[in-house]
Amino acid sequence: MPIIHREKIPLMIGVAAAAAITAAALVVSAASAAPPGNAAPAFKETSTTGQDISLADFKGKTVVLEWTNNGCPFVQKHYNSKNMQATQAAATKDGVIWLSVISSKPGSQGNVTPEQADKLTTDRGAKPTHVLLDPDGSMGRAYGAKTTPHMYIITPDGKIAYNGAIDSIQSNKVEDVPKATNYVTTALASLKAGKAPDPALTVPYGCDVKY
Amino acid sequence: MRLASIMLLRSLVALFALLAIALPASAQSSARSAHAEGILLLERSTAMPDDSFLGALQLKLADGWHVYWKNAGDSGLPPSATWASSPQVTAGEFRFPTPHAIPLATLMNYGYEHEVVLPFEVKIAPDAKPGDQLTIAAKFDYLICADVCIPEDVTLSVTLTIAATPTIDDAGSAIIAKTLPTIPVALTGNATVERAGDTFKIGAIDPSLAAAATSAKWLRFFPLGPEIQNAAPQVVRVGPDGVSVEVKASDFAKPGDVPLNGIIGMELSNGDMRGWELPATPAALPAGVANTAFQAVGATSTEKALPLGDLLLTLALAFLGGLVLNLMPCVLPVLTIKAAGLVHTAHDPKKSRADGLAYLAGVVICFAAIGAILVFLKAAGDTSAGMGFQLQYAWVTAIFALVMFAVGLNLLGVFEIGTSLMGVGGKLADRGGVSGAFFTGFLAAFVGAPCVGPFMAGAVGAALAQPDPLVVMAIFIMIGAGLAAPFVLLSFTPAFAKVLPKPGKWMETFRQVLAFPMFVTAAWLLWVLSAQSGADGVIVVIFAAIVLSFGIWLARKIGTRVPGRALAAAVILAGFALPPALTLLPKEQLVVETTPWSPEQVSQLRAEGRVIFVDFTARWCVTCQVNKQTFHGSDVQRAFADNKVAFLEADWTNKDSVIFDELKRHGAGGVPLYLVYPADGGEPRKFEGLLTAGQIQQAIREAAGSI
Repeated sequence: MPIIHREKIPLMIGVAAAAAITAAALVVSAASAAPPGNAAPAFKETSTTGQDISLADFKGKTVVLEWTNNGCPFVQKHYNSKNMQATQAAATKDGVIWLSVISSKPGSQGNVTPEQADKLTTDRGAKPTHVLLDPDGSMGRAYGAKTTPHMYIITPDGKIAYNGAIDSIQSNKVEDVPKATNYVTTALASLKAGKAPDPALTVPYGCDVKY
Repeated sequence: MRLASIMLLRSLVALFALLAIALPASAQSSARSAHAEGILLLERSTAMPDDSFLGALQLKLADGWHVYWKNAGDSGLPPSATWASSPQVTAGEFRFPTPHAIPLATLMNYGYEHEVVLPFEVKIAPDAKPGDQLTIAAKFDYLICADVCIPEDVTLSVTLTIAATPTIDDAGSAIIAKTLPTIPVALTGNATVERAGDTFKIGAIDPSLAAAATSAKWLRFFPLGPEIQNAAPQVVRVGPDGVSVEVKASDFAKPGDVPLNGIIGMELSNGDMRGWELPATPAALPAGVANTAFQAVGATSTEKALPLGDLLLTLALAFLGGLVLNLMPCVLPVLTIKAAGLVHTAHDPKKSRADGLAYLAGVVICFAAIGAILVFLKAAGDTSAGMGFQLQYAWVTAIFALVMFAVGLNLLGVFEIGTSLMGVGGKLADRGGVSGAFFTGFLAAFVGAPCVGPFMAGAVGAALAQPDPLVVMAIFIMIGAGLAAPFVLLSFTPAFAKVLPKPGKWMETFRQVLAFPMFVTAAWLLWVLSAQSGADGVIVVIFAAIVLSFGIWLARKIGTRVPGRALAAAVILAGFALPPALTLLPKEQLVVETTPWSPEQVSQLRAEGRVIFVDFTARWCVTCQVNKQTFHGSDVQRAFADNKVAFLEADWTNKDSVIFDELKRHGAGGVPLYLVYPADGGEPRKFEGLLTAGQIQQAIREAAGSI
């Protein structure tokens, strides 16, 4: 049987090692869960307008992620009270990128076509920068999104600054909205003032994400 | 016109009067919402002044719907009451019975299905008079969920006559009495919680709890707060004095030792629910609570021995599952080695048969070993171990990635077996030998097992639920036989050799091509590892691969004599030992948190009069990494903590003009740069290059003015 020439061995080892290292480097970036202070998991999802949206697109900007499901009573609480729209409008006016994410699997509550999603945005007067469709739940799982709504704020340098509930009162009642502290609004104000949000981690409440 | 309006007015008045009379009658003690029926129950049919007794909300739920415990888990809300009773009536909070764990995809909720009775205390004021008609009334809100959630409510009311002596409502009392034993009781002994990394070990001492646990279908810890991962498996052990439960900490658990509030709940074999309330306080796990694994008792169908017909079907499915495993992407690369072997021996029927049998033995023995370890783990109480558990240990994944890398190098012809090379990699995938075929089979099974394909999920699930270890082993062996079957069959088919071209140079090329699937497998394993131990774990394995390559190269260069061989073998072994050795190193506990640097953050902290340590760093800066180890030393950490130092990190790994401007402002063209801002608002001290622990401690003390 032919044996490889001795002088070629270092070259071959080099080639093989290089191949292994390149492959490794490509996959190292995959991580999961998102406690505050950690790097925000990268994502690439299709928006309702058919654009591929990834976190890297918004480097240098504060990004808000809002997990949503229009059939969920907790989401309805914050849209019927106009609380979510007002939070979105104030944030986006300040240059913040607001991404509403739908991780409902096909056939489950909240899973909508791009057209339906856009109609929901128009009908409710919502002001997200983009609505992302994540029917395979990959983005939701990467962030550990548990409920709708579940909110995340990502700093301009790509770190999780806030992870948790939209506000401080766990209920599905519209009348609780004015009594509650809106954690997203306060966290965005802290970030704007150069401070770390407090609280940075709260227990999200709502319906389960329909993975 | 006028007459008409008067008549209308009269009829309206009459209608209102009628409604007013009808109202107490229409206020009812039971009502339906879309998916539930709510019934307001009392222990009394008449009560006396200053009386106190129980009432309850009974909710009968539609099939497939659930309501929540006081901690709903990952989503949901508990039921609540808005009271509208007579002023002489006060009602207390719901006393929640022990809930069930209700899994939903990757989440876990705590609640009740079918029916729940939520008792509450009712007190009648002392100034109530016999003959008074009091109402106990409330709007009960509850979130009710199947796969979707709906907020529903019922408004219920009961009229209670006050009398000199109370009388019992038999129906209400009976239902309430039935639910009382399901409400968690206080532990008679202590409850402790011990933190080990991200695991909480909860111990609960109570002989009645220990006794009940011996006849329970399941037992688990239900937290009151968000400190644990609700969906993570819990490991339950029992002892003569109590029980222990291991749960995984969530991001919400504060670092270090924290008390845990919650209950230990269980379902007895007769279907009754029982619960014990803890506040678990930080302490080491006491003796007598973790002697043996929890044994589920009773009606869980999965733990029942299979009838013979079902057993045969399960074994057949296991074989089919193993067969299909041949097509799974994780096994395919390993099978290519086997294919290479087959090509070599195809024209020698005797050798071919021997190889086929060796391969079968390798596969089956690996699966039997996996089965045996799983049986053992289950007996030891680790119910979370499933198929593929072997790759859940980071160091196993790491070594395995290195083995695949070595096999790849071997296939490329970088080294040959039986020449000068000793060492582990050398024995793999030996082209001719029976041992090579055995090893190939073992490898295929090892990587293949975590890949649960079609048909296999059912078989493995059945295997893990079997009480009889022999049945478990039989199922695993059948999976192995299925995986090995196609190649064994080919080895025994002389006709196969006729299909293949004559042996020649093409075989060497074929073998080399097969190296690349091996590298792909190594890359995949590195990806698995990246989720287990992050980028640090991956870089360790890459270094280990380089060490390994160096060892192989050494063996070729100097491996002709014994000392050279020994050295090369030592280097190769060192490569393999690197990943497990590093995972065994203790991790330092960081006391001082790192916060991202920004000029605003600095001015804010300066305004607060804090000492600030700014670490200008980058991943690619080696000096920075060395210094980071110094910062993480316990003495330095203590100095940081004692002087309330704010540790800010300016990470310059990626381009960042704000950080670069700051570097230039301090006369540094790059990293590392360290700035120590004194508490008194003075100019920062600047450090560059390698730092010593003493230097840092000194600088911190000076900055804090504590010298």
